Amino acid sequence: MILPEFEVKNILRRYKLSLPYGKVIKSAKEYDGNYPVVLKVNSKKILHKTEAGAVVLDIKTPEELDRKIQDLSQKFPGEELYVEEMEPRGIEVIVGLVNDLSTGKVMMLGIGGFYAELIKDVTFKKLPIDKYDAEDMIDELKYGSIFNGYRNLKCNKDILKELLLKISNMGMEMDFQQIDFNPIFLYEDRYVIIDSKMVI
Amino acid sequence: MLFNIESAVIIGASRDEGKVGNVILRNMKASFRGRLYIVHPSADEILGVKCYKEIELLPETPDLGIVSLPPAKTVETIEKLGHKGVKLAVAVSGGFGEKGEEGKSLERRISEISKLYGIRVIGPNSVGLLIPALGINTALTDPSKTVFPKVGKISFISQSGALGLLNMDKYASDGLGFSSFISLGNSADIKEVDALELLKEDESTRSFSLYLENISNMERFLSVSKEISKRKGIVVLKGGLSESGSRATSLHTGSLFKPSYSLKGIFRQHGIIMANNEEELIDASVAISYSRPLKGKNIAVITSAGGVGVIASDILESNGFKVPKIREEDAARLQSYFSPLGSPYNPIDITAEATDDQYINTMDALDKLDYIDGVVVFTLYQTYNVTHNLVGRIKERIRNYSKPYVFGYIGGNFSREIYMKMLENEIPVFPNISRTVWALRVLYERGSYLRRFEK
Repeated sequence: MILPEFEVKNILRRYKLSLPYGKVIKSAKEYDGNYPVVLKVNSKKILHKTEAGAVVLDIKTPEELDRKIQDLSQKFPGEELYVEEMEPRGIEVIVGLVNDLSTGKVMMLGIGGFYAELIKDVTFKKLPIDKYDAEDMIDELKYGSIFNGYRNLKCNKDILKELLLKISNMGMEMDFQQIDFNPIFLYEDRYVIIDSKMVI
Repeated sequence: MLFNIESAVIIGASRDEGKVGNVILRNMKASFRGRLYIVHPSADEILGVKCYKEIELLPETPDLGIVSLPPAKTVETIEKLGHKGVKLAVAVSGGFGEKGEEGKSLERRISEISKLYGIRVIGPNSVGLLIPALGINTALTDPSKTVFPKVGKISFISQSGALGLLNMDKYASDGLGFSSFISLGNSADIKEVDALELLKEDESTRSFSLYLENISNMERFLSVSKEISKRKGIVVLKGGLSESGSRATSLHTGSLFKPSYSLKGIFRQHGIIMANNEEELIDASVAISYSRPLKGKNIAVITSAGGVGVIASDILESNGFKVPKIREEDAARLQSYFSPLGSPYNPIDITAEATDDQYINTMDALDKLDYIDGVVVFTLYQTYNVTHNLVGRIKERIRNYSKPYVFGYIGGNFSREIYMKMLENEIPVFPNISRTVWALRVLYERGSYLRRFEK
């Protein structure tokens, strides 16, 4: 079963994973966070929202937000809408968990972003991982040096390692078939999970 | 169980040359140091080995039973051996699970008998169990066409009998020793992970090479490997990396989880080194058994031929290693050891005038440099001043060095003879540049894995 985004985010919050601030709303006045924001359809039916046109990025004012709420409500009648702060661009990483029939619970780390599945620069470890495994995962990626920072994007490997250990703990405690954290934005001093999907 | 076999019985031995039961008998007779018996319905002796009519009539309970009979007879015989109290059997014949449902049910019967009587069974369809220290050799390859290994430090476990025996023939011909070889065959009882468990306490084994197509229980295989790899090397060549096997769903992680490349990181996490072909499989164990873990990526290269040093440096760097320049003060000292025409900066070229002393002095000096993590030496025997004595001197030196050293050579028959002598002397040596660099990669992976146990 695919969990809707809002439920996924509640689970992640329970594990103290860092997410953009956001809430389910019916109009702009219910939202008390910063702009710009992203508006999404909170649906059980749509797995890949961007492809379905169920995400509106970079909304800069409450007025614009109200207009987009109307648009999406017409396009996806009966579905809840979810608004969240739009995070600045960071180094993108994909982390995933799979509960494999023969190997058991397995974690993936890969270079994230739009080309993730094209370049397939990924590595896997069995859960639970320790700090050496987290280090090795970064080393094993062909383009792992991106986590030292790239061009004007700063990044901190230790934050990524800590995040991997946290996700490992979460994976050990809960039941799932698959979880995607994609993308996660990494910055110099923090990370934020931009999107995440769960099949339980 | 595998290392205190003092007596063995062959059931299905044959007088007829060319028959499997004859080859196995000849191989066992030629090398087994214990007491050998045959159970045969009519013969009194075959090739001078005394025959008994029934297992029950044997003068003792043998430690090992070797069964070379048709499938149904094999199962019956294993049961008799189990009843007699024999603890280990090798079932040679094919025609079991690979031939269909009837064969599969015979395999299940073997597994039941094993549990019932506590007899462990290698096979069926096992082309050989070799334990050179005991002279056990149940190989079904012709001794006149095969070289069987001497005693060594590598255990080789193979799910493909042929790939195992052929590869072992090749390395044994080079002078490499093995502590054991197990052809698992159809694994009715002893599976790859059981073989590891049986051998894990064996002091003579420093590294395992496994050729595997199926891993019977991945979670158990990983956990047993993790336990062993703290102390010994485990190298796996995984055949048949299939693209199925994970649950298909539409998430990215699921679609990216493919055994062909996902296993590598998971193996590494458990101290298992993944080889890409049958040579890397054994070379990796040679490196682990005869050298020591590499703790950094800075490599010094010694050669007596400029070009070999240049290519070695290129291949090292494309594999993630560095070939750092030797510092001036150290270079001056190195230079004093060999011809002024040579280069002391890395790659270090001691020129075609190289002598045994020059090799040894340069090797000694590099062991003391703290910005060098490992050393690769190309001992090129074609040059005028290098002698056979270098082998013995290298053997004695590398034992006391603090850094890992590996050796390479390029050459023909004469060089090959010295290469064999080096292997016999347990020197980590490889017959070309790429394989030498692979050995360093293995040692680095080993060092990098073991860092987690350092305090």
